[in-house]
Amino acid sequence: MSGIRFALREGFASIWRRRTSSALAMTAIALAALVLSSLLLVTSNLERLLSGWSTAAEFSVYLVDTATSDQRGAVEAAVDGSGVAARREYVSKVDALARFKRDNAELEALAAALQSNPFPASVEVQVQSEKQGSAEVEVLVAVLAKLPGVADVRYDREWIRRVTGGLSMVRRLGLIIGLVMMAAAALTVAAVIRLAFDARREEIRLMYLVGAPYRFIRGPFIVEGLVLGGLGAGVAVLVLWLGFRAAFAWWTPTLSSLGALEVLRFLPVYTASLVVVGGAVVGAACGFAVSRRTS
Amino acid sequence: MSGRPIIDISGLSKLYARGLPALRELTLAVERGEFIFITGPSGAGKSTLLRLLLLQDRPSNGRIVVNGYDLSTLSKAQIQEYRRGIGFVFQDFRLIPAKTVLENVCFVAEVLGMTESQQKRRAFQVLKSVGLQHRMNAYPAELSGGEQQRVAIARALTSDPSLLLADEPTGNLDPDLALEIMNLFREINAGGTTVIVATHDRELIRLVGCRTLMLDQGTIVEVA
Ligand SMILES: Nc1ncnc2c1ncn2[C@@H]1O[C@H](COP(=O)(O)OP(=O)(O)OP(=O)(O)O)[C@@H](O)[C@H]1O
Ligand SMILES: [Mg+2]
Repeated sequence: MSGIRFALREGFASIWRRRTSSALAMTAIALAALVLSSLLLVTSNLERLLSGWSTAAEFSVYLVDTATSDQRGAVEAAVDGSGVAARREYVSKVDALARFKRDNAELEALAAALQSNPFPASVEVQVQSEKQGSAEVEVLVAVLAKLPGVADVRYDREWIRRVTGGLSMVRRLGLIIGLVMMAAAALTVAAVIRLAFDARREEIRLMYLVGAPYRFIRGPFIVEGLVLGGLGAGVAVLVLWLGFRAAFAWWTPTLSSLGALEVLRFLPVYTASLVVVGGAVVGAACGFAVSRRTS
Repeated sequence: MSGRPIIDISGLSKLYARGLPALRELTLAVERGEFIFITGPSGAGKSTLLRLLLLQDRPSNGRIVVNGYDLSTLSKAQIQEYRRGIGFVFQDFRLIPAKTVLENVCFVAEVLGMTESQQKRRAFQVLKSVGLQHRMNAYPAELSGGEQQRVAIARALTSDPSLLLADEPTGNLDPDLALEIMNLFREINAGGTTVIVATHDRELIRLVGCRTLMLDQGTIVEVA
């Protein structure tokens, strides 16, 4: 369609004519998109790592209060014999109460008021990193749960909760910063397109007068915004990818010792495209808004 | 030529926020193919009437029907479509200084959706009809006032409008050139286009001799 060719030609010409401002606007979009997409990258990878760990990194075997030391010994023997545990630790009822008091200082009054110690004794098991999530762990957990004197086997989620909590804070903060940056970037793009609009004010007035269809009047500005936003976000994804590759190469030993090497992944193509499309949409919306004028 | 008038205005009023009404209860019918002068003292409402016809402004009251379009009912997109049927010429030409004569006309042809070859053909055609085909590569600043106005007229003819509106088209030109431009309008009119010219140049009207509406304080006071 002739309107599209016109819009593309005029939009690109305008970007080139004001290439310094265009580069500035693109950089602003790129920075905002970089913050948002690195946030996506970090949280998606951490989530994947955590979901691996949370199923199997640690678990606790809770004992009934009447469990004998033989029964506890049988539990410990089963853990040791399974070959999946990196470490185990017995936590007595007294230890558990002390730990509760330490972790929940604000509930001291409640703890003091307790007539008897409600906390069960337990055996805490840390799984070897290469066995995490394996079927062997699940078998062990099933065996332990049926042993006499065992009340329950539970994955200990306390530290995972803490990490997840921290993660969601980071995510929220990052999202706010990213969105604020995106808003600032959108204003920059709008300002640059406004320059183009002002420079063509006479032509635009003429286009209205002679009855040019709206795709001719507003199309160039929408194209300009679309290209600035899309290219900016594309640059951000590219930079992020390069950074990801570099970090990967740099920290290979560390990552491997964390068991993260196979889990870490760059943004899926779908998400990366979404970031680029998002940038393009923000830019196009700026072009649409700036050229919004009737006469 | 009888049948439905190309312009049918009834009870048209325009009030600006302050001051007297610019148009008052104006009623007017213009037949297809007519050539009409609108004259009257400064502030009589001539420009206001043309602006309303081009939908650059909205009436306070009354109805305007042009080419079958009731102007009060048009959507934004329809307004653009409606304007494609109307040519407009201003006192100050309003050419784009950075474009050549040819480019000025081609630009309009392009934004009206013509292909590149159609643009060239049409631009050449309309520039020839105003006698400027030999100045196609000049910039507006290199042209005389009369030539610039002829480019503006050529541009207004690009969409082959059925109605041509001109607001003081000769206001910036000396009398000889003014008459030349009027003769050009007569030629265009002879081709079937309805032409309405607003001017307070009584001498020019006398020389051309056409149906003339005299406006004063927003109403028609005399038809000659
Ligand atoms: N945008 C506006 N806001 C307020 N008043 C306006 C506006 N445009 C025109 N007017 C008033 O409307 C009246 C008619 O103005 P108009 O421009 O139509 O007169 P005109 O006949 O074209 O005069 P001229 O011969 O000087 O061009 C005048 O009193 C003018 O002051
Ligand atoms: Mg006027």
